Amino acid sequence: MTTEILAVALKEIRQTRRDPRTLAVLVVAPLMQLILLGFAVNLDVTHVPVVLADADQTAESRAFAEALLAGETFEAVAALPDPEAAAAEVIAGRAAIALIIPPGFAAALRAGRAVDVQALADGSDAQRAVVAQNTLTAFAARWSLAYSAATGQAPRFTQAPVEIRPRVLYNPTLNSRVFFVPGVAATLLLVVTLVVTAMGLAREKEDGTLEQILVTPISSEALMLGKVLPYGLIGLFDLALAVTLGAAIFGVPLRGALPIVGLGGALYMLTTLGLGLFVASAARTQQQAFMGAFFLILPMTLLSGFMSPISNMPAWLQPLTLLDPMRHMVEILRGVLLKGASLADLAPQLLWLAGMGLTVFTAAAVALRKRLA
Amino acid sequence: MSAYAVEVEGLTRRFGAFIAVNDVHFQVKQGEIFGYLGANGAGKSTTIKMLCGLLTPSEGRATVAGRDIARDPRGIKRVIGYMSQKFSLYMDLSPRENLEFFAGAQGLRGRARKIAVEAALNRADLRDRSGQRAGDLPGGLRQRLALASARLHAPSVLFLDEPTAGVAPDARREFWREIRAVAAQGTTVFVTTHHLDEAEYCARVGLMVDGRLKALDTPAGLKATHAPGRFLTIEGAPKAAMRAAPGLMAVEPFGLRLRARFEAAAPLADPARCAAWLADQGIAARVERAEATLEDVFLALVGVEVL
Ligand SMILES: Nc1ncnc2c1ncn2[C@@H]1O[C@H](COP(=O)(O)OP(=O)(O)OP(=O)(O)O)[C@@H](O)[C@H]1O
Ligand SMILES: [Mg+2]
Repeated sequence: MTTEILAVALKEIRQTRRDPRTLAVLVVAPLMQLILLGFAVNLDVTHVPVVLADADQTAESRAFAEALLAGETFEAVAALPDPEAAAAEVIAGRAAIALIIPPGFAAALRAGRAVDVQALADGSDAQRAVVAQNTLTAFAARWSLAYSAATGQAPRFTQAPVEIRPRVLYNPTLNSRVFFVPGVAATLLLVVTLVVTAMGLAREKEDGTLEQILVTPISSEALMLGKVLPYGLIGLFDLALAVTLGAAIFGVPLRGALPIVGLGGALYMLTTLGLGLFVASAARTQQQAFMGAFFLILPMTLLSGFMSPISNMPAWLQPLTLLDPMRHMVEILRGVLLKGASLADLAPQLLWLAGMGLTVFTAAAVALRKRLA
Repeated sequence: MSAYAVEVEGLTRRFGAFIAVNDVHFQVKQGEIFGYLGANGAGKSTTIKMLCGLLTPSEGRATVAGRDIARDPRGIKRVIGYMSQKFSLYMDLSPRENLEFFAGAQGLRGRARKIAVEAALNRADLRDRSGQRAGDLPGGLRQRLALASARLHAPSVLFLDEPTAGVAPDARREFWREIRAVAAQGTTVFVTTHHLDEAEYCARVGLMVDGRLKALDTPAGLKATHAPGRFLTIEGAPKAAMRAAPGLMAVEPFGLRLRARFEAAAPLADPARCAAWLADQGIAARVERAEATLEDVFLALVGVEVL
């Protein structure tokens, strides 16, 4: 069995090495994508026009707004008493953010209750909205801390007293740069492994080389493993490269244990490679395989929470995202890289990936054997 | 073990309502070159694919090298070699890389693989070009590479599906030299072809027409049964004049000449007499003896010249 697997793997590597297109898909394109997308979201944002709707009109609410506007990031363009009118300014495009301080803001703070400040953001300029949103969140946390310290109330709050509840209008696809890069890494792993496996086998069908393989006594398992192994390794290499570049160029922190990312990546690729084989067993031509892969990649990317937070999705859709392996991979990447999450923290995601991976891969093996026998 | 390398009983393959191979029976003897002839779409490739385990029969049974194709497809794959109608090695790999891969897929390893690959390169005269892309090889060499690849594991039955299609005449002769050498060593060769001259090299020939095996015999036997009589080629006589010849069975244009078939006992079947008979009518023609060909057999069986 190993002889056959190695023969197939060696053949795949030789073909890949000789084919500039596959090589580009495997290594160059993903990295370009990572770097370009990374830079695209890495623009400095200053003087974001803000319309303020302070429905509380207390010393506390005014202090909150003043402190916010003191920085470079925000610039007040109007102060309106009415939240509706403030929102209308954003919709009309005259302001990028409507900051709505609810009535009872000060009262809540004094009573030691948490209070939500709403920020309506114009999402049509994603970069600006992203930075604004993150700056707001960070600011609210800082301000809350300062407020608690100044009033000596800290122990009474179980959570930050002022929390920004951002809601994005028009375009929910907002993410900060460091959030973005792990997502890109998960996407490129998906694209690389799924597309290349699906196309590779479909090409063998088109060229008739699969028929030639099928008159040898090689088992479908050996054929499958041999085909998938090199691309799995290339995928892991891509993942390592993406994490390295993310850290070097975009300052993505590497807070947790990287082997967890490797483990996650390997389990993730069980599914993506298995899906590639599935597509290939159904498709008769490379074009069909490409279309099939594309139709899988699109929803998987959209449901992964990589671009739009899962919490922004309709309630009925949210549980379905658990079936998206990319969601778990994105969570693992973000968890390990950004939050320093441990193996125990990420056990659910890893288990989901392992479960789905084994199921999909086994099913693909069975489907392929049926198709080939 | 049975004396037959291939035994086929009632083999049938349907694609939807269409019957590509229809209730075919035959046996191929150990070590013989068995030719399979038929027009486009007659069902030759479909038959071969069923015997190689690439297609499942709709009905009927077959054994290859004593193994049942339905029960032991994996076992069959160990002992057969298959060269498909379309070149199906890797164009982007070199001959050596192709051979190494297929040897590995056959389960050959280590020294055995090395020896098999080197021997195959030698056989196909590809020693000097072992590093080129297979796709860059001329047609004849490609086919020899494919044959060498199909023989890597020393199979006892070789299935060759139109191995010389699109190959230049010289290269075809070379290829057939190799096929005969393989058979001389005891390997059974099951070969389909469109070239009737190649069918003459076969010990026995099966003739497929629309999915049915219409005839099966040695080339000489086929001619005796289906194209009896004696043949003449005639240059310089109109067809209408020949029509009146006593004892004539058929006359057809043959290039610029005519080809006539006479009853074996007909006096005019003798070239000199025939020429004299034409001279009597004021026609100066050159008449020569000709041999029956498989073309004549085909014409007689199918009614049209389709090959
Ligand atoms: N997978 C298939 N699905 C439907 N019809 C098929 C399929 N394979 C073959 N056929 C049909 O079966 C018939 C026999 O095909 P086959 O390839 O066996 O012919 P052949 O004798 O090898 O012809 P050729 O000389 O062109 O190679 C053809 O009419 C073909 O269209
Ligand atoms: Mg054919």
